[in-house]
Order: sequence, then C-alpha cells, then structure tokens
Amino acid sequence: MRELIEHTEGINRLMARYGVKFGIYKNGEFHEQLFPFDAIPRVITHEDFQQLEKGLIQRVDALNLFLNDIYGEKKIIHDGVIPEEFVFISSGYLPQCEGIIPPKKIYSHISGIDLVLGKDGEWYILEDNLRIPSGASYPMIAREICRRVSPATFGNNSVVDNRNYADMPKETMEWVNTGGIPVIMTPGRYNAAYFEHSYLAERTGSALASCTDLFVEDNHLYYRDYRDRKQKVGVIYRRISDDYLDPMTFLPESLIGIPNIMDVYRSGNVAIVNAPGNGVADDKGIYYFVPKMIRYYLDQEPILKNAPTYLPFYEEDRKYVLDHLENLVIKDVAEAGGYGVIFGNELSSEKLSEMKRLIEKESRRFIAQEVIDFQDMEVMDGDEKVLRKADLRAFVLSGETTRVWPSGLTRFSRNADSFVVNSSQGGGFKDTWVLSQWKK
Amino acid sequence: MGIISMEKVDHLYWLGRYTERVYTTLRVFFHIYDHMIEQPEGVYAKYCEKLNIPEIYTSNRQFVQSYLFGADNPDSVYSNMKRAYDNAIVLRDELSSTVLSYVQLALDTFESCRKTTAPLLELQQVIDDLLAFWGGADDYVEEEDCRNILKCGKYVERLDLSIRLDYHTKDLEKEYRKLCNRLEKTNLDYSKEKLSRLEAIILQGEDPKSYCQEALACLGGLFT
Repeated sequence: MRELIEHTEGINRLMARYGVKFGIYKNGEFHEQLFPFDAIPRVITHEDFQQLEKGLIQRVDALNLFLNDIYGEKKIIHDGVIPEEFVFISSGYLPQCEGIIPPKKIYSHISGIDLVLGKDGEWYILEDNLRIPSGASYPMIAREICRRVSPATFGNNSVVDNRNYADMPKETMEWVNTGGIPVIMTPGRYNAAYFEHSYLAERTGSALASCTDLFVEDNHLYYRDYRDRKQKVGVIYRRISDDYLDPMTFLPESLIGIPNIMDVYRSGNVAIVNAPGNGVADDKGIYYFVPKMIRYYLDQEPILKNAPTYLPFYEEDRKYVLDHLENLVIKDVAEAGGYGVIFGNELSSEKLSEMKRLIEKESRRFIAQEVIDFQDMEVMDGDEKVLRKADLRAFVLSGETTRVWPSGLTRFSRNADSFVVNSSQGGGFKDTWVLSQWKK
Repeated sequence: MGIISMEKVDHLYWLGRYTERVYTTLRVFFHIYDHMIEQPEGVYAKYCEKLNIPEIYTSNRQFVQSYLFGADNPDSVYSNMKRAYDNAIVLRDELSSTVLSYVQLALDTFESCRKTTAPLLELQQVIDDLLAFWGGADDYVEEEDCRNILKCGKYVERLDLSIRLDYHTKDLEKEYRKLCNRLEKTNLDYSKEKLSRLEAIILQGEDPKSYCQEALACLGGLFT
C-alpha cells in the first residue's frame, strides 16, 4: 500500500497520458480536467460486499419492476402504495413511453447507485441513477495502472479483479440485442463524460457513434459508413438524455438526436440502454418510496436503508421539515450532479426563511434528509493524510441476471468541510477494493 | 467493427495530416534554429514565405516563441499539435487508448515546455512521441481502412510540405509513390485527373519548382 501512495504522482501522470479526464463548462467555455486520483483505496470486506450485493440487486430488481409497472398496468398506484401525483408530475415520467415493452423487459440495464457508509457501519443509499450513470471507467483504468505500479500490493492483498467491467455492459447489451451491431452513442467530445464514452466503446468493441452516423429507415436503426453502406443496429447504449434522443418525439427544436428512433424502439426493433423514461424511478421524490416498492413487488424487507427522508408534500413531513430545516439537507428534485443540494446549517436566518417559504409554496419540488454522519476516508493531501467525505457509486448491471460490479467509483471531497464529492465540483476519486473470500 | 463513418474518415485523414505537419515542421525548425546562431535577424522570413504563412514575427527570439508555442498563432506548431489532438480524441475506439496516448503525450510535452530556455531539448520528446504514435498505429490499429486513411493523410501532408520546402525531385518521387500506394487501398473517392497531373509534374520531369502552385493545387484538390 505504501508503494502505491508513494507513486501517486506517477499514477496520475499515467492517467493524464491515457486522457482520464472529464469536461466542464465554466463561463460558457469548455475545459478538460484531470480527475484527481488518490491512491488509498476504499476497502470493502468480502462479507460486507455480499450484503451490499444482495441489497443492490434487490433494489435494482424492484426499480425495474416499478418501471415496467408504471409504463404498463400501474398497479402500484392503483393499490395506493405511491400517490399518482409523485409519478405523473415527475419530469422523468415520459407519457411517450406508455405501453412500450423494452426488449427482455429491462429498463435499467446499467444502474449507478450512490451510497455512503455511516459511522454506525451501515450503508445508506443516497440516490439511484437509472438514466445514464457514468464513472465506472475511472476505477477500471486506475486499477490497471495501480497493478503496474505496485504488483506487490495486489499480490499481498486478496483484491477481486475489477478490470472485467467492460464485459458486463457488453454481455448486457448482447442479452437485449434485437439483431444488429452494438453502438455507443455520444453527444460528442464536448460532453462531460466523453472519455468514458470513447473508452467503453474501445473496451466493449462497440462502434462509437454520433447522432449523424445513425438514421432510421423502414422502422429500423442503421449506422452509415463512409462508403454509404448501412449496418443494422440491434442495441444502442446512448449517452444522451431522453430529451435529446428523438426530436420527433421529445424536443422538436433539438438539433441532435435521431429522428424516429422512438418508433423503432416502440416496435421492438432496437434496444435502448438505458430505456427512455427511467427518470421517473430515480426522481429524488420517488426515492422515498423505493423501500415500499421492494416490499410491494418482491415481498421482501429492504436490505439496504435509505437515508432518513421527508417529503414536504405530506403535511406531517412538511411540518417536521419546516421545524428542523437548519439540521436537514434539502434537495431540489430537478437537479443533479451535486447541484441543488442545500445544507440547512449553512443558511443565514434570512435564507432559511426564504427556503421555508419556497418549500411551502412548492412542496413537491424538494425532499429533505437527515445529515448522515458518514465515515470519513483517509486521503493524501501532499505528504499528509487527511480525512475527507466520500461516497460510493456501485454499478449494477441487469441482463440475463442482475449483477453488481465488484468495485465501484469512490468519490471524495477535496475540501475539508464539504459533503459534495462530485467531480464537476472539484472532487477526486479512489479505487474501490472488494476483498476476496480467499485471504492471502 | 469494420465500419467507419464519414465523420471518422475525416478525423483520421486530418489526424494523419496534422501529426505529419508537426513532425516535419519541427524537424525543419531544428535546422532553422541552428541557422539562427550565425544568421542575422529575420532568417525565418523565407521559411514563412515557402509555407505560405503570414510573416508576423518581430525577431528571431519572438519567432521561436510564437511559431513553436503560440496558442493564439494559428500557424504555430503548437496549434497544429492541438488540431492533431482534436482529431485524435474522437478516435479512441479506432486508434486504441495505447496509440491515442502518444498524441496526448506529445501535446502535454508541448504545454509543459512552453517556458523552457532550451526548447529543442524538450521538443525532441514530441518527435519521439509522434514516431511512437506511427509505430503504434501500425501495430494497434486493427482496421486496415483506418490505417490506410490515416497514412493517406500523412503522405498528402508530407508531399505538400516537401513541395513547399523545395525538396529534391527524388524525395518528391518517393513521397508521391507512398501516397499512391495508400490511395489505392483506401476506397476513398479521389480525383484521378488531379493525381495524374501531379504525377506528370513529379515523375515525368516537369520541374516541380516552377509548377509548385499547380502541384499543390492538385494535391489540395484530390478529395474535393
């Protein structure tokens, strides 16, 4: 381990060489930034991972059943488990997806579930990301480099190899493929996660395509090559949000997207990974109901806990939130990427009052959560070890079976007082070791 | 994958051109830099004229800084390196991360040695990275079409620079043959008429110096 830490600079230099970056817009300009890597890994024991794995599989299975239900029979609403207001006014609910049955009935093929480890030793789910969660490529390439830098570290510790990540989305894509080539669709190199798009295309053997390379003809999706030959596409892992996927169905003013791809999808002639409309299930408001979904669809008790959450939409919760706002985290359900997260204890009394008025006026727009006292992680700051907040994004792949990648993206805050770990806000990342049951 | 989109063909071709432009102009610059030791100020003027780039420099020293590293100078070697990178970065799945990393390394070297007092010492690394890029492309780029298009760009650029810099006819012939060899393999549509005129100028003894502009026009119009 010491060897790894000693060579942190060298590891980061190799990452730079391989272009391990993310894009960010500042003052309207695009900048590419390196994603700082800290060599001290997060270590998850075999037993802990087994429990996590069960809980994550359970959660994602329930979320997939929920999506099938919401765009189908809506039993969960009819049975009064989730109020319909929460579903149909969610910006992630897409009426255009009503009645569509995706290939193999899988909506969320690649799910990114964000968790934190509490000081009580329990894992808490912070949020579900079922649209286009990114980040798996960073620990994947980091492990590759770390093994080169310090083989002894991995020789002496029984760490489960995580470099097979690309095989998992590849197998998932093959499972839902309707007959054609696999394609990863990127909005282009000025997208924040472009490194990941191109790296996954390389590692999964998919064609990396932009919108202009793809077209619909006779209700099938095709990729056009430079000799004007066309190849049928059977599965498209799109790294573009629902709104921009098909201008004929969603935003007509959009200049990107593939006209009529939704018709092809509706006819079952292409699989879209992840399926359009998933936003309804990872809405911060719906998050509150996931434990209820698990009980409802699977008849099981949830294995993993949600962070204690309140919905100001309910009168009782609203009263609690307004009375305890200074001790809670408030999240705007429409925001992502660490934006729209407000810590009550950081607000002035004037801002607190303003926030209370806003919550009363737009109660559906916010959720409030108790601040979880989660474990700090050691991070190198120069030659010194310091403690920082960190979360874990676990990747769950749904194909023939539901599987959890034995690793994940551990992101940490680089500022001592911050809970925000997002790369777009200056955070760094760590490798996540899952220990094998076979100890060395 | 066996399929390449039109957009990627464009990026492959220009990646070939820009990497070659950086490679050759850097090597030529090494000679100019040496000449500057004994020559008076303004020795770069002729070079600018040959390359048909604006002569905007005020001194040898300023030429070295701006022509090599000028981020605001569209004709600087750095700007061409940046363009090579811009084309390479969208081709990771065709090139492989290994091959792409040499373009990244070359760009990083350029950016890190901007303030050095001995630029040639550091920029040798860029030349080494570009040679490694080409070696890597031969070894790692699996699609033959990709390699051919990339090399087609490379040889168009090399011939273009060779004509501009008054290389010997024998050198021009050599570069022309390399280009033809690749062109045939690319399956790209090109003007056979322009290629045969280029051949007449280069291979059939027409003095390329006097036909320089026409030769360059033929080369530039091959794919239009």
